[in-house]
Amino acid sequence: MSDQNDPMADIRASFFVECEELLEALQDGLGSLDDGVGDSETINVVFRAVHSIKGGAGAFGLEHLVRFAHRYETVLDEVRSNGLTPDHENVKLFFRAADHLSDLVRASRDGLTVPQDAGDALLAELDAMLGTPAETDEASAQVEFTPLGIGIDLGDLDAPFDAGSAPSTRWSIRFQPRAELYETGNEPQILLRNLARLGTADVTCDVGALPLLLELSPETPHLAWTIALDADVSEAEIREVFEFVDGLCDLEVSLALYDDNTASTAERPPAADVNAPAGVTLPQPDTAPQDMPAPPPARRAAEPPARSVVRVDLERIERLVNLVGELVINQAMLAQSLVSAGLSPHSDAMNGLEEFQRLTRDIQDSVMMIRAQPVKSLFQRMSRIVREASAAVGKEVRLVTDGEATEVDKTVIERLADPLTHMIRNAVDHGLEPGADRVSAGKSAEGTVRLSAAHRSGRVIIELSDDGGGINRPRVLQIARTKGLIPPEASLSDTEIDNLLFLPGFSTAESVSNLSGRGVGMDVVRTAIQQLGGRISIQSESGQGTTFTISLPLTLAVLDGMVVDVAGETMVLPLNVVVETLSLGPDDVQMLRPGAELVRVRGGFVPLYDLGAMLGYRSRRTDYTGCIVLLISLDDGNRAALVIDGIEDQRQVVIKGLDDSFFRAPGIAAATILGDGQIALILDPADVIAGCLVPLPVDARLPDRSSKEERLEHG
Amino acid sequence: MTLTVLAVDDSRTMRDMIRLALVPNGFSVHVAEDGLDGLDVLSGLAPDVIITDINMPRMDGFGFIDAVRAQEDHRATPILVLTTESAADLKMRARNAGATGWIVKPFDPGKLVKALHMVTG
Amino acid sequence: MSDSYRLPARLDLPAAEPLAQALRGRLGANMTLDGSDVTHLGALCLQVLLSAARTVRHAGHDFALVNASDRLTEQLASLGFTPDRLSGGAE
Repeated sequence: MSDQNDPMADIRASFFVECEELLEALQDGLGSLDDGVGDSETINVVFRAVHSIKGGAGAFGLEHLVRFAHRYETVLDEVRSNGLTPDHENVKLFFRAADHLSDLVRASRDGLTVPQDAGDALLAELDAMLGTPAETDEASAQVEFTPLGIGIDLGDLDAPFDAGSAPSTRWSIRFQPRAELYETGNEPQILLRNLARLGTADVTCDVGALPLLLELSPETPHLAWTIALDADVSEAEIREVFEFVDGLCDLEVSLALYDDNTASTAERPPAADVNAPAGVTLPQPDTAPQDMPAPPPARRAAEPPARSVVRVDLERIERLVNLVGELVINQAMLAQSLVSAGLSPHSDAMNGLEEFQRLTRDIQDSVMMIRAQPVKSLFQRMSRIVREASAAVGKEVRLVTDGEATEVDKTVIERLADPLTHMIRNAVDHGLEPGADRVSAGKSAEGTVRLSAAHRSGRVIIELSDDGGGINRPRVLQIARTKGLIPPEASLSDTEIDNLLFLPGFSTAESVSNLSGRGVGMDVVRTAIQQLGGRISIQSESGQGTTFTISLPLTLAVLDGMVVDVAGETMVLPLNVVVETLSLGPDDVQMLRPGAELVRVRGGFVPLYDLGAMLGYRSRRTDYTGCIVLLISLDDGNRAALVIDGIEDQRQVVIKGLDDSFFRAPGIAAATILGDGQIALILDPADVIAGCLVPLPVDARLPDRSSKEERLEHG
Repeated sequence: MTLTVLAVDDSRTMRDMIRLALVPNGFSVHVAEDGLDGLDVLSGLAPDVIITDINMPRMDGFGFIDAVRAQEDHRATPILVLTTESAADLKMRARNAGATGWIVKPFDPGKLVKALHMVTG
Repeated sequence: MSDSYRLPARLDLPAAEPLAQALRGRLGANMTLDGSDVTHLGALCLQVLLSAARTVRHAGHDFALVNASDRLTEQLASLGFTPDRLSGGAE
């Protein structure tokens, strides 16, 4: 710890990490209180979380934080010590205070300021809850900011007060300890030594009527001391030495007449029965505190093992992830060259390679695990969104979460926040009916929004459901028709109607609330999810509610891909969209009009896309007989048949971001490096189907950065 | 002579700060996360002084001090209470439990070292 | 002539009662206490030592504190004593 460049910055950073944990505990505790499953310890946990934040904040001089935490804590303490059970409204207020506290923590961390009005209003509410007038004394919450001196020089602490130069004052002190002084671990010998350090002390022990050994009760104090102290100090400084034993001893401090020659008769209180004067003059200890030699190297070994958690700079992990990516690629390249060299699959080299491959994969998995985080923090942010959203539209909503411990790649978690926020606001605003409607529908006035996470077959499934009225399909259909999103005569299945919500420009909100607003629709959410390699789907039941299911890859860095040949170019398609591989017969393709063909698949028709032509690698084919097509299906139910020129492999590929060295082409999600060192582009099937691929000559394709570039951030 | 300190606090930040304040000054610092943990550490340690927080899970500072004082070996071990409250009744409660002295937060390394010397000489 | 009694290192509160017991067992003869091991001297044990000295001398024997360690000497000084004064008659 002491060998760090700036240990304080380190502790400060660690304090804010701890704050996040405490805020989490606070949220959990409040959640339990709200659910009525808390016990007497719950309120203590809640109290301690706020208390600890206040404690640390004080040490760092974070005044706003201390002030708010102090008042919040005071109210919690009242509740706790009076055994009060907070009702629903109280807990709601506690939640809002917790939200504000977390704002203050983050603002303090980032050096921002938080408007004080919000906090003041909350404090007023908190105070009102107790029925006490708003606390005005800042004194109890006062933070005297004490900048932390790191290398504390003990020499200074013990330095004599100009002994010898300035004329000293002579003090007379009489000190008689009581039994309690000893019982609290205090020791006269130490107190007297500390006193002597103030100047030059002449200590006399008053042995008094000390019983003989056989009559002596060893723990009953009999001794008293009289000290003549020559020191240029105030009475307060002398009493400070006895601060901890105030009330545990008899202490008299008086100013003695300074008399150089006659030492210690006049100042002795007459009451003192000194029949055994045993004076000795203590020289001012020139010995530096002998208990404190030069700081030895920190004895870390003596410390008990800390919890086995290390904090690692994310950059280091990114570096490791990249290196492992390189390793995987190198391993694949090696495998390829061994095969090219004509080695037998049963040769030692090939067997060893297999082992190498397995290890590489394990390392890769382990490294990816480092980036994994529980979704709990994300869910807690969402619980705040629910509180704020429900307050904004005046609905009673409770959020139920499940699977908070489910771990997902950190970047996925971060990038899920926005879409989830939007979905939750939608659920509260549009999904749940107003309380009165709910009651007349036989439901509880309080709506429930459920957020869950789970691992399922190598992916993360996040579900958001509400127990509202379900999707109003006739209305959705009507809007889609009015907006010209579908042909007027089209008849759609329920699922197809539900999926209309994801169409760009679709918005069912009749009145624009300031919550969900207009313009940002579910299409933006879907795009965001797809950019994470995920899918989103809807299930809705009239009168029962709506469920959105998001399925995400565990990590962004690896993709299960199908390696295909398109007009001589090697490309990768995400395996999860490929439903089937077909070889086309002469009657399978039907032309609607030139340039628009359909493929017959099991009695249905799906549109045909000639990838080679769409990407501008060659002109359109006129005859598809014998061609290989991949039947792909997207989460929105759209299906398509992609014409390719051959399937090379199915394998995991390491996604490399298309950063500055590549421009972003429509239809291309990212790139990867294959075993032979060749760079292959990873296709974005959604783009392909949405018709984003404008077949242009290769040299005329310009980067379309405006809409898609964020897709390339991750690699 | 190196003084051995046992610091009991549920806040990692406080434990870190105590370490940071004391280790460079030649103290050997052992830490525990709450009262029970503190008793555990104490069973294999003879600290020259103990520093403890009051508000902690499982076993709070009062309970911890009580339990320490009940051990013959530690009847005289100085115990300093770290508290954000300067309220007299808290000091009294701590003292009644057997605390030797107190350090009022906000945490200040100088104050801490001074308090340690007040009780260890 | 009895052997000297070697005082334990820590003469703090918990040590007072055992020290008194140990010294009571050595009454009735000259008492020589060896202070070479002592690192901590608290006021209650000082009290036991003073009482023992008084008791031994009352009985007409000699009391002596010998080989006081530096720390013992220093801590005695804090409490207003020197090893000699303790040995040689604090009264």
